[in-house]
Amino acid sequence: MTTDGLLPGVRVLDVGQGISGPYCGKILAQMGAEVIKVEPPDGDSARRMGPFPKNISHPEKSGLFLALNANKYGVTLDLTSPEGADSFRKLAATADIVIENPPPVFLEDLGLGYESLKAINPGIVFSSITPFGNRGPYKDYKATDLVLYHMSGHAHGLLGAVKDPDNDPPIRAGGHQAEFVGGLAAATATMMALYGKRMTGIGGRIDISSFEAMVTQLISGLANSAWGRPAPPRDISKVEEAAIGGMVGAIGGILPCNDGYVAISPREDAQWERWLGVMGNPEWSTDDRYSTRDSRQKNSPSLWKLLSDWSVHYSKHEIASLGQEQRIPCFPVNTVLDLMSDEHLAHREFFVEIQHPAVGVLKYPGSAYKLSNSPLPLAARPAPLLGEHNSEILEGLR
Amino acid sequence: MFESTNQLPLHGIRVLDLSWIIAGPTSTRFLASMGAEVIKVGSARRPDPSTRGPAFQAYNQSKLYASLNISKPEGLELVKHLLSVSDVVIENFAAGVIERLGLGYEIVRGVNPDIIMVASSGTGHYGPHTDYVAYGSLLQHYTGWNSISGYPQREPVPGGLWADPWVGMELAMVTVAALNNRAQTGQGQYVDFSMAEALSACLPEAVLDYQMNDRVKEPMGNRDDWYAPHNVFHCAGSDRWVAIAVTNDEEWASLCRLIERPDLASDTRYADAEGRRRYQDRLGVAITEWTMQHEDHQAMALLQQVGVPAGPSQDILRVFKEEQLAESGYFSRVETRDGIIRDLPGLPWRFDGDRSPILTEAPELGQDNSFVYRELLGLTQEDLERMVADQIIY
Repeated sequence: MTTDGLLPGVRVLDVGQGISGPYCGKILAQMGAEVIKVEPPDGDSARRMGPFPKNISHPEKSGLFLALNANKYGVTLDLTSPEGADSFRKLAATADIVIENPPPVFLEDLGLGYESLKAINPGIVFSSITPFGNRGPYKDYKATDLVLYHMSGHAHGLLGAVKDPDNDPPIRAGGHQAEFVGGLAAATATMMALYGKRMTGIGGRIDISSFEAMVTQLISGLANSAWGRPAPPRDISKVEEAAIGGMVGAIGGILPCNDGYVAISPREDAQWERWLGVMGNPEWSTDDRYSTRDSRQKNSPSLWKLLSDWSVHYSKHEIASLGQEQRIPCFPVNTVLDLMSDEHLAHREFFVEIQHPAVGVLKYPGSAYKLSNSPLPLAARPAPLLGEHNSEILEGLR
Repeated sequence: MFESTNQLPLHGIRVLDLSWIIAGPTSTRFLASMGAEVIKVGSARRPDPSTRGPAFQAYNQSKLYASLNISKPEGLELVKHLLSVSDVVIENFAAGVIERLGLGYEIVRGVNPDIIMVASSGTGHYGPHTDYVAYGSLLQHYTGWNSISGYPQREPVPGGLWADPWVGMELAMVTVAALNNRAQTGQGQYVDFSMAEALSACLPEAVLDYQMNDRVKEPMGNRDDWYAPHNVFHCAGSDRWVAIAVTNDEEWASLCRLIERPDLASDTRYADAEGRRRYQDRLGVAITEWTMQHEDHQAMALLQQVGVPAGPSQDILRVFKEEQLAESGYFSRVETRDGIIRDLPGLPWRFDGDRSPILTEAPELGQDNSFVYRELLGLTQEDLERMVADQIIY
C-alpha cells in the first residue's frame, strides 16, 4: 500500500509566524499532513520579509513566506477576540498537533495554551518553539537568526581563523539557518511525540529552544570542552590543526579559478598523491616541506600559493571534474544560479514548480529525501493567500 | 490506552546502526536518547574515523556497540539476522558501498519486508553525480550554502561545521516520520537521502530572489537585506563582540535611548529600516562607541532589558560555560569511564511529564557483544568465542 506522503490524516494547526514555527509546519506539510496555517488578520510577519519581485513589498509575494508555507491551508483568526478564540478551540479539538513560536503570540496568554487545549483534546501534541526555551536566565530574551548564530559558537567556526581577529569579526551564514534549525528540531521532536501518541494515546507539551538547537549542531565541540580542550583559536598564527569542519592547510581549502573558486580536501596521503597527479606531479611535490600531512599543515601558506598559481588557469568545474575522476573530495563553489542549472539536481527533480495566483510559476527547493513507498506531496498547493480557506475550514466548525 | 507519561516516545523501537563518522551517528544519537534501542555495529578492521577523540563521545551517546566484520560471509549473515529483528536500519556509506557489501534494499527487504532503511550519502543514491566523493565541509560549497555566507568581495569562507549535524537531525526526523507511517499502514520504506540537497533546500530566499529579480545572491557578512542595524559590534576586551539585530522602529528607538543618542532617534534619515541600511556604517560607529564600554554579556543584558535582540559572539568553550545552558537543564552530568564527572551535551527539546532523554556515555567497540549476539540472536557462548577468534565478531 502506498500513501501520499508519510502522515496522511494527521491534522496540524500552525500558529507560527516568521520562520522557525512555519518551517516546522512546512516539514509536516510536505510529509503529507494537513497543515492549517492560522494567521492574525494582518498576516504572518514573514509576509513582510523579502525577497519580493522588484523589491516591492507585497503581502502575497514574499519569497520567504511562499517557500515556508507552500502545501498548507490558510485561515485568519483574531485570537484575541472571543469569536476567534472559540473558532481556534473548535479547530484544536480536531487537530493532532499545534505549533507555536512565540513571541509575539503566546497561546498561553490568550487562554489557549496546552492545558486548556488538552482539556478539549487530551491527546494533543503542543510544540512551542522559543529562542531560548521556557527556562533559564534568557528565557524571555529575544533573538534573531544573527543573534543565535553568534551566541551558539557557529559564527566563530564559519569564518575560521583570521589574521587580525579584532578587525575581522566572526560572521553568520546567509539566509536564516539558525531559525531553520529551530524549526527542524521542532519537527523532529513533534514527529517523535506523534509517534509516542500513536503508541500510548498520550500527546504532551514540548518546548524547543532554537538556541539549544544551534548548540546541538556543535556537540563535538561541546564534548571537546567537556574533555578540557581549548576552543579553536581565532588567530590564524595560533592554529596548529584545523578543527572538525574547518578547512585549513592539510585538511583542505579554497582555490581560486578563472571563473570562481573550487573547494578541495585531499586530506589522506593517498588522496594527496592522486591530487598531485591531477596537477601533473609538479617539481615541488617531492619537497620535504609538503611530503607529509604534518609538514603540509606546517607549510600551508606556501603550499596554498603553489596550488593557487596552478588553479587560476582552470575553471571551477574543470578542476572539480578532474579531481572527482581521481576520487578526490573536491567541489565547485556553486552559486544558486549553478544549482538551478545543475544536471544532477535536475535528474533528481530536486526543484519543484508551483503555480501561485500572485507570483505565477516558480521553482522551489524540494526535499532532501525520496521515499520508496510514499511519494511526498511537495507541490500539492501554493502558499495560501491571506484567509484563503476561511470559508472552507471555519464555516463548517461547530 | 496507557495512562503513564514517563515512557519515552521511541520506546520499543530497535535501530541497527551501520553508520559512521558524523551525520549518521548524529541521527541515531537522537533516536537512542529518545528511547530507541540503537545497536551500532562496527569493526576494528575499519574503525569509525570519529573514534579519535571526544567527538566520538558526543556522536554516540546512549547507544549499544557491537563489533562485526561485514566483509566475512558469516559476518554478513549476522547482519541479516540483526536486520530481521530490527525496525530501522541506517547507513551513510558512499553511494553504492552498501550494495557492494551485499546489503542493498532489495536484499534487506527480503530479510525483513517491513523495515525502514535510511540511506544517506553526499549527493544521493542515483543521478549523474551520485559517485562524487564528499565531505560535509565541501558540500557547503557545492550546494550554494557558502555562496551566500561570508564577506562580500572576499574569497569564500573556508568551512564551518554545518552539513553533517544538520543532516544528522534531518535523518532522525525522516526516520521517525517513516515510523509514523509504518504504525499507520504497516509498511516499511527506503529513504534515499542526499546531504547536498539538505543544504540546498535551506536557501529558498536566494533561489526565489534569483527567479524574481534575476539576482545572484552574494554574501553580506553579518548584514541583512532588510533589517538595520544588523551586525556585531566590538565590546570591551580583545576579540569580544556583541551581535545586535534591530528588527523594527520600536527597537531602534530603544537602542538610541540606551546608548544615549536621542539625536539618532529623532533623525528622520534613520526613521525606517531603509534609511538605517543606507547609513549603517555611520550608525555602526555610534553603536560601537557604546559597546566598547561594556563586556559582551553585559551589553547583551542591557540591550535585552530594553527589548533589543542581542547576544555575544562566542567560541565553543564559552558556549559550553553558558549560564543559560547550565540552568535550562541542557547538559547531562555523567561519570565517564575515566572516573571524571563531565557535562555531556543534551537535546534541544523538553517533553513534559517524566520523559527526560537518556544521555549516557558513548560505548566502546564490542562492549555489547554478549547482549547482541547471545541474548538477542541466541548464539551460544562457544559460537560467540569462535566468531571472535575468527575475526567475524571483531
